[in-house]
Amino acid sequence: MHPPTVSCSAGAAATRRLLLRPLRPAILPSSRLTPAPPSRSLSSTTCRPITSSPSPFNNKNNNRPTSLHRPQQKQQQQQQQPLRTYHSHTHPAPPGPFTPAEAHLLSAAYLHVPAHGFTPEALALGARDIGLLDISPAVLPDGGAFALIRWHLYFQRTCLAGKVHDIFAGEGEGGAPRTVGERVEALAWARLRGNEGVVGRWQEALAIMAQPSYVPASLKELAQLADEILYLAGDVSVDPSWYTKRASLSTIYAAAELFQTTDTSPGFRETRAFLRRRLDEAARAGGAVRAVGEWVGFNASAAVNVLRSKGVRI
Amino acid sequence: MTEEGRIVLSVLGALTFCAILAFFAIYFVRIKRPTHFGYETVTESEKRERVAGVFTSVAESYDRMNDLMSFGWHRVWKDHFVASLNPGFSPLTAGPDPRGPQHILDIAGGTGDIAFRMLHTAHVLNANPAVRVTISDINRAMLTVGKQRSTTLPASQQAALSFVEANAENLSQTRPLHPYPSPLEPTSTDAHGRQEQAFFDPATATSSIPSNSVDLYTVAFGIRNFSNIPAALREAHRVLKPGGVFACLEFSKADRFPLFNAVYKEWSFRAIPLIGQLVAADRDSYQYLVESIERFPSQRDFRDMIVDAGFVVAGEGYEDLTGGVAAIHKGMKPRA
Repeated sequence: MHPPTVSCSAGAAATRRLLLRPLRPAILPSSRLTPAPPSRSLSSTTCRPITSSPSPFNNKNNNRPTSLHRPQQKQQQQQQQPLRTYHSHTHPAPPGPFTPAEAHLLSAAYLHVPAHGFTPEALALGARDIGLLDISPAVLPDGGAFALIRWHLYFQRTCLAGKVHDIFAGEGEGGAPRTVGERVEALAWARLRGNEGVVGRWQEALAIMAQPSYVPASLKELAQLADEILYLAGDVSVDPSWYTKRASLSTIYAAAELFQTTDTSPGFRETRAFLRRRLDEAARAGGAVRAVGEWVGFNASAAVNVLRSKGVRI
Repeated sequence: MTEEGRIVLSVLGALTFCAILAFFAIYFVRIKRPTHFGYETVTESEKRERVAGVFTSVAESYDRMNDLMSFGWHRVWKDHFVASLNPGFSPLTAGPDPRGPQHILDIAGGTGDIAFRMLHTAHVLNANPAVRVTISDINRAMLTVGKQRSTTLPASQQAALSFVEANAENLSQTRPLHPYPSPLEPTSTDAHGRQEQAFFDPATATSSIPSNSVDLYTVAFGIRNFSNIPAALREAHRVLKPGGVFACLEFSKADRFPLFNAVYKEWSFRAIPLIGQLVAADRDSYQYLVESIERFPSQRDFRDMIVDAGFVVAGEGYEDLTGGVAAIHKGMKPRA
């Protein structure tokens, strides 16, 4: 992952194509996604990032087919195009890691996760729901359990952009988040709320994600989540703190998620308090590091200046 | 060539030399060549036994060759292949699956390696005795080997197996296996009196595999040998039910790891034909084997062929095994 830029890395042809299109309201992603009501229950319809994108902008610009029922010849082209690793204000989001057929099957199976967990049962029942066979989930890599977990991660992550509108709605009136730090907390909390439906099964999922062959993909998802939260919160740092912010947010989020799996307080109050404490600590630690750095820098330059005033040629 | 590469090659050379010595020992002590009973006069029952013996030795050498060539690793690949497909799995519901029992078609599965694993997974692990497996092969000899081996399976699994002779490029013409020797079709012999491989002749077809009748179509280390792969893929698409899965285990390209690839290429082009010559007394076949592996399309190209045949894939559409020496390709027939 690289520091965010808004420049266009696509070819000149793509740029021309974009310029020919009428101008859109530019910046905030909340303006390019239809605001979805915050979903408390598990649903694959309230915020559907793949199969039925409500925005004509998304539909026009990529070749993603919207139906499972026809073989798609364009599929391999999509898969071969390199995925952009930064957020762009001027381009549509790159297609997700799932092919349309996969997304259709996984979103159907996802509805069975609260009852059956991230298991072959959920996948087979989902396949039956959309008129496929019990054997159909075999097409997913490694039998599909991890694919289902990844679907949850991807789905909840991409849902955040649609919730931004509601989270930031009362901004400026009091109680609503204002600073980047407050927004980060609000967004991380919104993402943790996304686990509510599956929280009873989330320890299983964490165990699967911790299997050596799945660790890289899981860590990548975590990094993308941290990146998404900071981007949506309006963080625009382009210095080394870009990395430290994402690293610390990833750590805090992972810890909070682990805490959440054993939290029985109403409305996950304890998890929220935990999250807030960790973020405060991080902010304090960041402040302390900054203060120490400032002090060291000031004294070092003062020492150099003293030496220079004594005639040392530095 | 780099210094590193040279060291690896010299180590490999030493290993190969040891292997040669070992194989010579095996060659002189253990290998029994097929007896030339073509010119002898034997009773029919005697002949049946002898023919059976030939196929047992074919099967043995087939297994031994696979073990030697892949250091036994082909078993791991096959186990993983079957486990990842999880045949016979059915969620717990009241009553049986309304869509009927699963039907698995194992193409080029003559010796039953995949089919027996499928049956074990479905019947034993998933406790679903309704699953049945059809083994299809163009080669009657290999099928006969599979049939013979299947006699060691539990009776319930034997009952769920059927053997058909068919050309995978046209599954509308098949014939139930009639094992050697057949009174209708006398076995032909070559100049040495050994039996020639008898390939299925479509003119003798008596049945067919209907469209939309198969849940799972598997082909393991076979599709490489098809003369018309796109036709075979289209035929797979035809016989599969909507939602049915096409799964293929095949040698592939290990290009991603250049050093490993160099060692692997040395092994396959130098050692494998030699082993074939020593163990199976058939250098040309194994020379063909490595050349056909080399000629087979890369993972992505083959994935695109699967998509072109009308399948949908998930993720990348393939999974590399052992750095890409073998790969599993899967596709699903979408609902019409």
